[in-house]
Amino acid sequence: MLEACGLMVFYENMLALNNVSITCKKDQIVGVFGANSAGKSTLMYTLSGIIEDIKKKEEMSGGERITVQGSIYYKGDDITELKPSKRARKGMVLCPERRRIFKESSVIENLKIGGYLASKSQASATLDYVFKVFPALARLKNRVGGFLSGGEQQMLAIGRALMAQPQLLLMDEPLLGLSPLMQAVLIRATKEISEERGITILVTEQYARPVLPIVDYAFILENGAAVMEGTRDDLLKNPDVRSAYFGVS
Amino acid sequence: MDILIYGVINSIALALMALGFALVYGISRVPNFAHGALYVVSGFVTWALLRAAGLHYFLSICISMSLTAILGGLIYQFVLIRVRGMPISEIIASYAIGLAILEGLRWGGFKGMTYTLPVFIDGSISIVGTPVDFHRLLVVLAGAAVVFLLWLFTRFTRTGLALRGMAQDERAALMLGIDSDFMAVVAMALGSMLAALAAVILLPLGNIVVEAGYNVLILAISVCIVGGLGSWMGAVLAAFLIGFAQIITVVYLGPHFQMVVALLAIIITLIIKPSGLFGRQKELEERV
Repeated sequence: MLEACGLMVFYENMLALNNVSITCKKDQIVGVFGANSAGKSTLMYTLSGIIEDIKKKEEMSGGERITVQGSIYYKGDDITELKPSKRARKGMVLCPERRRIFKESSVIENLKIGGYLASKSQASATLDYVFKVFPALARLKNRVGGFLSGGEQQMLAIGRALMAQPQLLLMDEPLLGLSPLMQAVLIRATKEISEERGITILVTEQYARPVLPIVDYAFILENGAAVMEGTRDDLLKNPDVRSAYFGVS
Repeated sequence: MDILIYGVINSIALALMALGFALVYGISRVPNFAHGALYVVSGFVTWALLRAAGLHYFLSICISMSLTAILGGLIYQFVLIRVRGMPISEIIASYAIGLAILEGLRWGGFKGMTYTLPVFIDGSISIVGTPVDFHRLLVVLAGAAVVFLLWLFTRFTRTGLALRGMAQDERAALMLGIDSDFMAVVAMALGSMLAALAAVILLPLGNIVVEAGYNVLILAISVCIVGGLGSWMGAVLAAFLIGFAQIITVVYLGPHFQMVVALLAIIITLIIKPSGLFGRQKELEERV
């Protein structure tokens, strides 16, 4: 489904991604684990193309010089040069770090804005599905986005991304700052979405333990480089990984 | 009673002038200083189509509005897009375009008091002892209709919702497949069309003069600053505030002070509450 080869991203002279190659097979849930500043978000921005927008804005305001190298293939097509909105149109949707919901719009409006790429029938069907997966959102339908709790906002962000009809959903730290209870709800929902909608999911997280049960394959990023990869069992067997990312020794 | 009726009319006229500016700024964060020029251009285009080409009045209005919308879109696509994200350059570029258009018109011979558009309906009516002509009533109706249609557009159409999303978080909109560059062009075209609409509705009440471009720009900016930059509801409310303040000064002090009121409103707002009445987002940023 997704194949990225030799991704290198520089912020000025700082190397944020160092020769990272990642593959993501269809209908799998793939995890990317790494500490703060390991390059998880940069990876997600590079895959979804948002880095092009960041780069453009930085260039215009005379800020950091960002360089991207490497190539990204999605369903066999080279999308390295594609604009982010075009990538979303092809079915690659990013659910960003810190949620970035539209704070002044109500829940239902957020979802409607998310349905920009969907046809009318797709939008209404997906809306029903989102409310089925997250019944809490149906109750909060008319609440303004900024007044939601962190967990509710994350549900909304995932729901909004679903409205864009993704085939590959990129989730950047969906569990950031949430209670273990809410984490469990979201993990269950993620699994459900992947199975019921046939959506391939790439998820990043700092702490691997809550996500690991649903992950088919995982990569570990350290200082911008993919230092290890393997199936769930491979990672569990490795003592270094166990102590660093699962909190067991 | 005079104050009430003419206050409402003046306020709605101000709201019409300012909405286009507020829309463009709210969505693409580009302060469109060519707003006044677009206003005057559409006035002259309508005049040319009506008087020189002899087209039907309504038809010339429609053509002039679409032409202005296209002109606005082109200005964004070919000039403003290059300086986006650099506030000072945006202001200089758009103001330069506005100046070029206005002074070009003056140089081209469009000056003096000879350019007028006919009112839509002649005659006047007396409301509780105050004479009001039909065209001014039409201004009120049109203003209310525009605000209502804009509200419907931004809440129930795909493009309108996308514009609202982009206004709140451009990058998040980008992730959902909303092409922000294209949407900014759409916003600019829409804003220009609103300027043209304001022009064809308001210009029949006076002459089409180049100077109106500068006045409209100042009024639009003052309304938007008082209302909170980027907030459409704020702009409408601020239009009423400034509109009534203007009429009250006209009645008690004299018509010379009309413009002073708008400028004073900018200064007072910037001193007391720089984010304006409804600039919520910005206020939060200031606090942080």
